[in-house]
Amino acid sequence: MRSTFALLLVSLLFLVGCSREPAGEVSSSQTFIFARGSDAQKLDPADVDDGESVNTLTQICEGLVRFKSGTLEIEPWLAESYSISDDGLVYSFDIRKGVRFHDGTPLDAKAAAYSFLRQMDEDHPAHLPEAAFAYWSYLYQDIQDVVAVEPMRLEIRLYRPNAAMLRSLAIFPAWLISPKAYETYGTEMQRHPVGTGPYRFVEWRPNEAILLERNPDYWGEAPAFERLVMKVVPDNTTRLLQLKSGAAHGMDGLQPAEVAALRTDPAVTVYEDAGLNVGYLAFNLETPRVAIPEVRKAISLAIDRERFATVALEGAGRPASFPIPQGFLGYPDFEDASIFDLVQARELIAPHLGLFAERPLEIIVMNAPRPYLPDPVTAATFLQGQLEALGIPAKVTVLDFKTQLDRLRNGDFEAGMIGWVGDNGDTDNFLSVFFGSWSAVKGAATNYSFYRNERMDTLLLEARQEIDPERRATLYRDALRLWHRDLPILPLCHGDNIVVLRSEFTGFALQKIGDLRLSEVRRRRDPAPDLKE
Amino acid sequence: MTAALAKKLSFFVGLYLFASLAIFAAIDAVPGDPIASRFGKAIDPARVALERERLGLDESWPIRYLISQQQFLAGDWGRSLTTGRETLEDLQRFMPATVELSLSALALGVAVGLSVALAAALGAHPWLTRLAQGIGSIGLIVPIFWIGILLLVVGAWWLGWFPMGGRSDLAIGERGFVEVLRYLALPTACLSFFPMASVATVTFARLQEPELQAFVAALRSRGYGPWRIVWRHLLRIAAAPTITVVGTSFGALLGGAFMTETVFSWPGIGRYLVSAILGRDLFVAQNVLTFLVLLVIAVAFVADLVVWKLDPKKGGEES
Repeated sequence: MRSTFALLLVSLLFLVGCSREPAGEVSSSQTFIFARGSDAQKLDPADVDDGESVNTLTQICEGLVRFKSGTLEIEPWLAESYSISDDGLVYSFDIRKGVRFHDGTPLDAKAAAYSFLRQMDEDHPAHLPEAAFAYWSYLYQDIQDVVAVEPMRLEIRLYRPNAAMLRSLAIFPAWLISPKAYETYGTEMQRHPVGTGPYRFVEWRPNEAILLERNPDYWGEAPAFERLVMKVVPDNTTRLLQLKSGAAHGMDGLQPAEVAALRTDPAVTVYEDAGLNVGYLAFNLETPRVAIPEVRKAISLAIDRERFATVALEGAGRPASFPIPQGFLGYPDFEDASIFDLVQARELIAPHLGLFAERPLEIIVMNAPRPYLPDPVTAATFLQGQLEALGIPAKVTVLDFKTQLDRLRNGDFEAGMIGWVGDNGDTDNFLSVFFGSWSAVKGAATNYSFYRNERMDTLLLEARQEIDPERRATLYRDALRLWHRDLPILPLCHGDNIVVLRSEFTGFALQKIGDLRLSEVRRRRDPAPDLKE
Repeated sequence: MTAALAKKLSFFVGLYLFASLAIFAAIDAVPGDPIASRFGKAIDPARVALERERLGLDESWPIRYLISQQQFLAGDWGRSLTTGRETLEDLQRFMPATVELSLSALALGVAVGLSVALAAALGAHPWLTRLAQGIGSIGLIVPIFWIGILLLVVGAWWLGWFPMGGRSDLAIGERGFVEVLRYLALPTACLSFFPMASVATVTFARLQEPELQAFVAALRSRGYGPWRIVWRHLLRIAAAPTITVVGTSFGALLGGAFMTETVFSWPGIGRYLVSAILGRDLFVAQNVLTFLVLLVIAVAFVADLVVWKLDPKKGGEES
């Protein structure tokens, strides 16, 4: 009896499935669906650090300033204009008039100050105990106070000049949320963002999708779609199938091999540009063998970075000569930084080869793709081959990402492949992280080589406080000369930033900083190519 | 009777203690500081130390095990360190999706597996025997994610009958019954291969035993029709092995559910658990894992009792 019932139910299930319309899934042309590999963690701009959360918040929240489309230049945004005092200590913002948060609260200087004060003031009601506010102590430490000096004028006062501050004010921890958010939602404000942006939050179905709708009162250009869905599709193959079938309109998180196949597919448009990152090999200078400068120099000379980029990135990135991406302030012009010269390398290493006779050099690497290394294990294996050509036997140890980070931070390794994704597009955000002695604290390090050099520290701190770009660039070039002399890390590659949209959509532009500005996407009106593009 | 029951119960309680200790040890051995990873790029060692103390991470392991068990049993499962959501709320959110998927896959698998095995036992067609054996091999050998992708390509892309993964239309509002079934169909079919194979294999083997075949032949010679033989006799005989298989394969079903959930973007507990482990949300991982193990043990226990009830002689022999 039971089995008949089950059979009946099952056949019914299939019949029902068959009789329905093709699976259009929110078939309305008024919806744009973006598919990504994982869900956001939180939707509180002050307390997130994962890409999916930031990508979602990009549609909902805005800052006082932002990056001009496609550049690393700053333009006023929720502030109509801004000025910086001559001593570099006071930043004044004239707040844009007529802007309202999604809950109707008007934006003024006091409302703007709220988003900063809740991060810096531990007694602020919205300084939630469960929030880490990790970015505040990392990029905004130089802020002394944030004051609404006039109803529509906000001042940010610093303890000491910080040339990276304006750029830091353009990124997500400095985006504004409604001062009523905490009153309305309590601690749930971390899952219910109230910003001023082109889309407003509607519903979060965890591990499934985040649903947004057009902000009807948006002060800027209204988005073309009534609804925006950020959908979670964890499996790479399924995500690609969804894009091809139209169940998703755009996606990210592609493997290089998939990108290669999509470039020739007329149904989709591949957007790719150099990302704000660097993948590198770090030497732990507290271990004896790689502490020898000639060993590091020889390894640097033995790596063919052009081939490394072809193999490790499969065309989805480019070789790196310096620890900063091209176009950054202070990007140097000396050419021998990434030269490949196996003969010279072998000469240099010859006296030291005995050190590696008993125990191979261990390279630790993570098992999951990162923006700077889409296929880390292949990359490490390639590097192993290059080292063996040099005469150094090498061993690759594959770890999951968190374990890898833990070992790097604690100095529990000899050589490790890792990378850095920049936050605010400033040179300081790379060089201080890699070479500042203050970043070499065991357990919390980002200076994984534990490189400590007084001259380097002085140069970096001076450059951070130097307002004049020319002088600042000179300081960074000097710092990079020091890096080149000591080689605590070997930059290998810069991974590309890749987003794919179906070809019936246009208006999208990749951002240097990686912001996913989906509100600019619109449907192509006719099959003819859009001249504006 | 009561003594036998008590013996069974104590066995399962012992199993739980062993499993919970094993889970604790495994989670404890996972490298990577769960607190440090919460602070992302800017770790403040002083705050990490404070947080470790607050969470009692510096106690000795037996104490931590006892505390974690006490909290688990009291239903105090805490919050996720990465999302800030209550673990119990998350369980209530993600578990129904997995239960929905697992039960429908179980129903479909048992229905098809049992039908094929029964039909083969009646000797209706020789190819039915091959089918029963074939289902057994395919379901146990072919990887679940491969079946999943195949179903997506055929059912969702070529035919366009079913949605391409997900659990609901992403429209705002309530889900209709038809919508539920449409989204459930492909993942159910995918996950059903495993129980289908187990049930088909075990039941087929039981029904092919010579004395049963002789029994069927005898019934046939008396002029009983095939339906009557199945209803009156074979189903009863097949019930015990089927229930045993269902009871013991429930754990494997949950394991398979994780793969199915990934391929079909199904927001279930399997995906939640794996991302908790990878994200070093270790308290979440430990509590959810312990809960799932408890569930698997409970199902096995109930299945054992049912089989015991169905066949007191068999149960008596075992205990």
